Amino acid sequence: MLAVEDLRVYYGKAQHPVRAVDGVSFSLRRGESLGLVGESGCGKSTLGRALLRLEPIHAGRVLLDGVDMVRLRGAQLKAFRGRAQMIFQDPYGSLNPRHSIGGMLREAVAAHGRTTRENRDERVADLLRAVGLDPSYTRRYPHEFSGGQRQRLGLARSLAVEPELIIADEPVSALDVSVQVQILNLLKDLQQQLNLALLFIAHDLAVVRYVCSRILVMYLGKVVESAPAPALFAHTRHPYSEALLSAVPDVAKGLAARAGGAQQRIVLHGDMPSPAHTIPGCPFHPRCHRARPRCQTEVPALRELAPGHCSACHFAEEL
Amino acid sequence: MSMANGAPSLVVVEQLQVQFFGGAHPVRAVDGVSFDIAEGETVALVGESGCGKSVTAMALAKLVPQPPGHYAGGRVLFGGRDVLAMSERELRALRGREISYIFQEPGSALNPVFTIGYQIEEAIRLHRPEADSRAEALELMRLVGIPEPEQRLRAYPHALSGGQQQRVMIAMAIACRPKLLVADEPTTALDVTIQAQILDLLRDLQKRLGMAMLLITHNLGLVAETAHRVNVMYAGRLVESGATPDVLTSPRHPYTRALLEAVPRLEGAEGRLKAIEGNVPNPAELPAGCKFHPRCPYARERCRVGEPDWEFAATEARGVRCFFWKEISA
Repeated sequence: MLAVEDLRVYYGKAQHPVRAVDGVSFSLRRGESLGLVGESGCGKSTLGRALLRLEPIHAGRVLLDGVDMVRLRGAQLKAFRGRAQMIFQDPYGSLNPRHSIGGMLREAVAAHGRTTRENRDERVADLLRAVGLDPSYTRRYPHEFSGGQRQRLGLARSLAVEPELIIADEPVSALDVSVQVQILNLLKDLQQQLNLALLFIAHDLAVVRYVCSRILVMYLGKVVESAPAPALFAHTRHPYSEALLSAVPDVAKGLAARAGGAQQRIVLHGDMPSPAHTIPGCPFHPRCHRARPRCQTEVPALRELAPGHCSACHFAEEL
Repeated sequence: MSMANGAPSLVVVEQLQVQFFGGAHPVRAVDGVSFDIAEGETVALVGESGCGKSVTAMALAKLVPQPPGHYAGGRVLFGGRDVLAMSERELRALRGREISYIFQEPGSALNPVFTIGYQIEEAIRLHRPEADSRAEALELMRLVGIPEPEQRLRAYPHALSGGQQQRVMIAMAIACRPKLLVADEPTTALDVTIQAQILDLLRDLQKRLGMAMLLITHNLGLVAETAHRVNVMYAGRLVESGATPDVLTSPRHPYTRALLEAVPRLEGAEGRLKAIEGNVPNPAELPAGCKFHPRCPYARERCRVGEPDWEFAATEARGVRCFFWKEISA
């Protein structure tokens, strides 16, 4: 359904561009959930926004059912945006404090244009029920809701236009632990019931594991590993994914380390470099715990090691 | 004496109550919290937003602003001295010198118009005017692992990454070799690989300097990896406490149990996580009875009416606040 081919988003001057997204390709089927994982500045949010044409696209194609949306304009672009919706990390920042919940949802339903005027209130009530809120909430305003409820409202609004693709950018990272799970379960249920394609952007691998069937790991604007979720957690094939996984604080891991004494955590040195400077060789080599001389000169290509499991590391076989 | 490791208690909190005035009724942000921290020990205070964990931490150095805050009861003993009864002068000597704090947002705690060096030196000069502050600042920068420390001392905060800013905050916090470091969500704003670096640094410093640490967090994974003992808070109260492995492997309170089930993990079954119904309660509108009962799967009539007492078993150094914990954990 969605095919992204060599997508590039550059900022700044043409001679020294900041390569926020640097040649990313992937595809997404209906009813599939794909996780996009990486640290801040890796380009994952920029990529998500670029898919909706909210960022300037330097090169590449984004095909939705074969139509390249990078070339769309005017009414066609508007129609495309109705098919793909985004939900954000801070639900409060994405809700207008002066619009009642009913007004906001009616506006979204009206924009969709497929519901008659008489049926709009009914549709709004359906949407609220679908995200687990009471239909009587239509007269309330965003400030009257808790963080979790606001994220439900954001979800209701994006569902109003009956999208086929939802891009969720860190939808639960601002929520309390006990509320996070409610939203994750809701997102998973809706995705399956409505057969939605879901692009789930997050920095937390443990969260992504529960929602997504396939995962892309990004570093400095590039995909360094892509794999079915179980395969990635069973056997990482890139040193960066390996380090990311070992860095996540985990209850079982922590208790085991306590009992056995030895910590097997890989601590990376330094910070992620700025995407404004290009690094010769593998972009990860300055921080890599497995780097060798070859990594300093030769850029590794993303290659398939097992069915559906790709890695951009010269020495992926040794991991 | 602390129950945990035989080391003498550095901090003892007894029945602490902190209230906030503003609305029609005072908000009981912290209501009867008791725990202790031994010298050199790491104790975690766990809970979700609004549970009172940060207010409790601030109260250790009497840092809750009054008004709107008000210490309504209880005691905080630091090295045997009653903190809440101290004069401003005594508090100034305590803060920064014996207790220091690091917070979630290192960027907002650093002054943007002064160099890193100036700010670290200021922390040293304030408490130890006799020290060679320039040399010590450099030494601290090395201790917290900042590369090219000489250049970095001349830099302004904006030129440093989030991880490096947090290292600078830690350098300032340990400048006077405090006995207790309070770390309030120290890694929440950082990326996971940087988070791992900062945790390693804190653990290493703690060993070298023999400091005690109070770790405030909502992340149970972090607790499992760092804390000797853990206190779980809900709605201004302690609901469970004990040695970390005991609490995390055999939780007694339904809230601890639910939190553990709700945390996404790296291993084990995929599929659905068990959600905790409802929302974190607003401290201004707490329910009657046990504060967790509206969200508790085990709640019965008794829980709606009366509030359970804090039961502390000194023999096993575990506390719990639930009428039915024995049945639930059986």
